[in-house]
Amino acid sequence: MPQKKTVVIGLLGIQKDAGKGAARWEKWRPTIALVSHEDLLVHRFELLIQPSHRELAKQIVSDIRDVSPETEVHLHSVQFEDAWDFVEVYGQLHDFVRGYRFKPESEDYLIHLSTGTHTVQICLFLLTESRHLPARLIQTSPPKYRKHRLSDPGTYNIIDLDLSKYDFLAARFQQEQKEATSFLKSGIETRSKEFNRLIARIEQVAIASRDPLLLMGPTGAGKSRLAKRIYALKKARHQMSGAFVEVNCATIRGDAAMSSLFGHVKGAFTGAINNRDGHLRAANNGVLFLDEIGELGLDEQAMLLRALEDKVFLPLGSDKEVKSDFQLIAGTNRDLSDRVREGKFREDLLARINLWTFCLPGLRERKEDIEPNLQFELDQFAERNGRRVTFSREALTRFLKFATSPDASWNGNFRDLNGAIIRMATLAEGGRISVEVVQEEIERLQESWQQPRTNNQLSCLEQHLHQDALDDLDLFDRMQLESVIKVCQSSRSLSEAGRKLFHSSRDRKQTVNDADRLRKYLLRFGLSWERVREGGKERQRD
Amino acid sequence: MITIDGSFGEGGGQILRTSLALSLITGQPFRIEKIRAGRKNPGLLRQHLTAVKAATEIGQAEVKGDAIGSQQLTFVPGKIKSGDYQFAVGTAGSATLVLQTVLPALMLGDGETTTLTLEGGTHNPFAPPFDFLQQTFLPIINRMGAGLTATIERHGFYPAGGGKFVVSINPSAQLQPLELLERGEIKTVKARALVAHLPFDIAERELSLIGRKLDLPGEALHGETINTSPGPGNAVFILAESQHVVEIFTAFGERGVSAEAVANTVIKEARAYLNTEVVVGEHLADQLMIPFALARGGAFTTLPLSKHSTTNIEVIQKFLDVRFEVTSLSNRAVRVSVK
Repeated sequence: MPQKKTVVIGLLGIQKDAGKGAARWEKWRPTIALVSHEDLLVHRFELLIQPSHRELAKQIVSDIRDVSPETEVHLHSVQFEDAWDFVEVYGQLHDFVRGYRFKPESEDYLIHLSTGTHTVQICLFLLTESRHLPARLIQTSPPKYRKHRLSDPGTYNIIDLDLSKYDFLAARFQQEQKEATSFLKSGIETRSKEFNRLIARIEQVAIASRDPLLLMGPTGAGKSRLAKRIYALKKARHQMSGAFVEVNCATIRGDAAMSSLFGHVKGAFTGAINNRDGHLRAANNGVLFLDEIGELGLDEQAMLLRALEDKVFLPLGSDKEVKSDFQLIAGTNRDLSDRVREGKFREDLLARINLWTFCLPGLRERKEDIEPNLQFELDQFAERNGRRVTFSREALTRFLKFATSPDASWNGNFRDLNGAIIRMATLAEGGRISVEVVQEEIERLQESWQQPRTNNQLSCLEQHLHQDALDDLDLFDRMQLESVIKVCQSSRSLSEAGRKLFHSSRDRKQTVNDADRLRKYLLRFGLSWERVREGGKERQRD
Repeated sequence: MITIDGSFGEGGGQILRTSLALSLITGQPFRIEKIRAGRKNPGLLRQHLTAVKAATEIGQAEVKGDAIGSQQLTFVPGKIKSGDYQFAVGTAGSATLVLQTVLPALMLGDGETTTLTLEGGTHNPFAPPFDFLQQTFLPIINRMGAGLTATIERHGFYPAGGGKFVVSINPSAQLQPLELLERGEIKTVKARALVAHLPFDIAERELSLIGRKLDLPGEALHGETINTSPGPGNAVFILAESQHVVEIFTAFGERGVSAEAVANTVIKEARAYLNTEVVVGEHLADQLMIPFALARGGAFTTLPLSKHSTTNIEVIQKFLDVRFEVTSLSNRAVRVSVK
């Protein structure tokens, strides 16, 4: 492989490189010193000069030839009216860089930082740091003891801004990254490999980017907590000065949504007595976390898109645009592309926010993380309540065995786990969670996963009743009916279901016909034992 | 292939130059390893690369590892090509050291006359100055049968360099052994001081001290202003002429070192020679090793050998089927003979 050529790019130092007559050789001149080192061979020197210093340049070129005949010198003109003017200097150097044909495959570039004004040095540094200059930096310094040898070229120091090349620094960055990912995980030492990989990637993106992040995952998977941690991490790294603003889009609808997100001016609508800033403005220089973004109305979506792209939006009733620069983190538990197909979500907004999409797995897919999370929840409990609670060994084994078994569906994910720990810790006697407490909790959890979730529209009722019929029912009746159907589905016969349902009252009754009672109840809703049972089978087949 | 350990003995540079010179002249390829191993900046330096480059060009050689910092170099010489060459050397390397590398191959054989133009440092510390080359070294090897002349056009002092001299080489078939065993009477001792772009009184002070300490008459002291040198410089020489040789001792002026201190350095070195009976001084002994080995005979008396010289002998014996015998004559003199 042919040796790469060493090319130095540097500015002629109008003071440091200057010198009159033979006495100049008694002076330490950075450009001359740089080509005088015995262990550094400069094949080419791209010397940037100002036209007014042509004479000095001529002398330097001739002196370089004497001390380093191996070095070819090319002169380039740069014209600084004011070498301390940042914009001008940067512009001139940027022009040079753009016009220069770099051949990094065959040449090694060194940027000489020891000549020029501090402004020049800063600009060269920035151009190198941003990789406009595919180079390393070189600093030259005079010898420490000038008296010893006037001809001593002193020392030089090559600095590679690619910090990963320094083992010591790389180790520090790794440590820092480890701390950051641990921070994102709230210090929980999660064991799921996929989850850990996901968090490492989120850390990378969160630190490097201000683009929107989309967090997907079932309810209770920890989207909101993660969003808060991302914000806190960025704030700790001084990447953010504003606030964290969290909005659940499912809770805001219609005019109220517009106004709460984008604000309104006084008198924009009836009841708008005062100006309101809105959440977007509140999140200026911070993070706006829009959970359940799929629930956002189309008008709000359009406004949000504009706010993301142009960082401006119009508050309700205002004709004056308002600025807000925030990072959006969106959360959703449904597939937004479905919503796009249904015409309920803007395709362009989706394209804008799913640049970085991260799917948070539910607790069921992270069973190995239940134990570390359990510990975390216990710590949280101790912090809030001022008393430590621990599991007895047996209780812990029992709980973990259940929690990681297929029986545990963890429908509510971390929310369920959190609730379970709080309940068990509260019921623990003497700071100790016993097997009995665990057993009771297991039953409670199982029951809760069987029962319809009150806010879950897709209950078993929909399989048996038309939407119209359902709408006519009071919530009270709906809940009762749903429970009754559940019991029917888990019973072998109408009589068995009846016995379960009327277990307490049958003792007091004169005639015992629970089955009949149940049949009549079902009939009130146009249902029969057979239909209810069928639905149950269908459900099981699903 | 001959393998040389570049870390043994003294200077890695000398080992490399001797190896290159002998590889060129014998046609034997070599590999040198661990070049300057264990130094702060190990491997090849620029001055070494310049020597490699000159040797490569003259010997039409194939070379591997010729890069700054490289600790391994393989050199496979081809046919020696006479003709006109021009080599420019950076300040830290001396042009006379480049000459040392390529001269043996060019001065022997049946090739055409070669003219070497060397540019760079002609008066560097740690290298033989041009004056030594012209007045001490060349007369001796010309007496052995070589046909060399050297003229200086410009002086090049460290660090500015920029000097220039031309060596004309008329090759001869073989070098004849020479015996330099009896010094005889010292005929004359003279001193010369050069200053370039520096006050002339530096030369005056150096010469006056030398005159006083060595008891020399005024006409033996000669000061000179050099105008052709690009940079400043000061060198002071003491020349001792005996029956067979003109020995030259040199010291260079440095900033922060008084003219008297510079003069004392050279006085001390000249006295070490003058107070003995040896013919050849320390630096000349070093330069004579290769020509004497090529002549396959001869002997000289000199001061106890420096580490530099013994290293040189070891390298030479790897390339040439010769044996150096070093016999101690007293604690201040040895006899070196080649068999």
